[in-house]
Amino acid sequence: MRKDSKENPQKKPTLPEVGQWPDKLAMPALIGGAVFTTVGFLLAFLYAGPVNGAAVDGVEVINGELVGNVLLLSQKIFYFHMPLGIASFIAIGFAVYYAIRYLRSKEVRFDTCSRICMEVGLVFVVGTMVTGDLWTRFEWGVWWTWDPRLTTYLILTLLIIAYFVLRSALKEPERRASYASVVAILAGIDVPICYGITRLVPSSLHPVIIRESGMTPDMVIALMFCMIGMMLVAYAFYRIRFRQVRIAERTQALKERLEDFE
Amino acid sequence: MNPLLEAIYSTIIPSAPFIIAAYALVWVALFVFVIIAIKGFKNSEKQLAVLEEEVEKLKTK
Repeated sequence: MRKDSKENPQKKPTLPEVGQWPDKLAMPALIGGAVFTTVGFLLAFLYAGPVNGAAVDGVEVINGELVGNVLLLSQKIFYFHMPLGIASFIAIGFAVYYAIRYLRSKEVRFDTCSRICMEVGLVFVVGTMVTGDLWTRFEWGVWWTWDPRLTTYLILTLLIIAYFVLRSALKEPERRASYASVVAILAGIDVPICYGITRLVPSSLHPVIIRESGMTPDMVIALMFCMIGMMLVAYAFYRIRFRQVRIAERTQALKERLEDFE
Repeated sequence: MNPLLEAIYSTIIPSAPFIIAAYALVWVALFVFVIIAIKGFKNSEKQLAVLEEEVEKLKTK
């Protein structure tokens, strides 16, 4: 049986609800996210220097600097690609947190939170896959390659898709929530594997950016703006969607009560 | 154009469609999510209107 918090007053979990303080931050976060990502986008193209590719046969002075390599514009995709990937990991991390809380308490609202985190995660996963694939196509000349990072991220994507397929396939609410929570936890297990795979399995294709500090300060500034912007957008998306779903759930509950009354 | 500069800038124009597509598709994905949320709010509004009508009917009974 599903538990209601009123049934167990001795150990009542704190339930997320619409109108609590995090909702007040949703709109400022969305506006801030839009501003930060836009500034980050502009910095990526107008402030951060281009990355050097293969060496050319000679040296040329461009803007007072000696350039002896092919300049790679395609690297500009990175400024959105990495923040999208990190945001997807964080969203799935929260989905796991709420899935565990659901399995422990059987409070439906935790399942709702977990589902919304997975939805936000899916949006950011799609963004990461799209940006990464277009970069791969141009730089490596293929649409797909079985690079360890790509493979583990594909597994993560498939697990998220499986999560939603499972949810739509099961009609019984408690069973659906329990099974979906388990799939969310499985997706969560893949997150640290995906993050750490480039460190565990050395790959020439996917560089370890942070550890190898392969970025100049101007690149770091542009990346940080995009990173903060994406986090704010992800947070705002979560709260806005949570608010919408909770209102829909409450309206439905009210409708059912009214039908009983009639 | 100087052949050396031509070599240095050789990937700029060919990579442009990929970069534009990448950024555009990300914005589309984010926009779709916002549209879904707005549609959900509108559906809830409709349901609320139905509920208000039902409550009014019950009052008059």
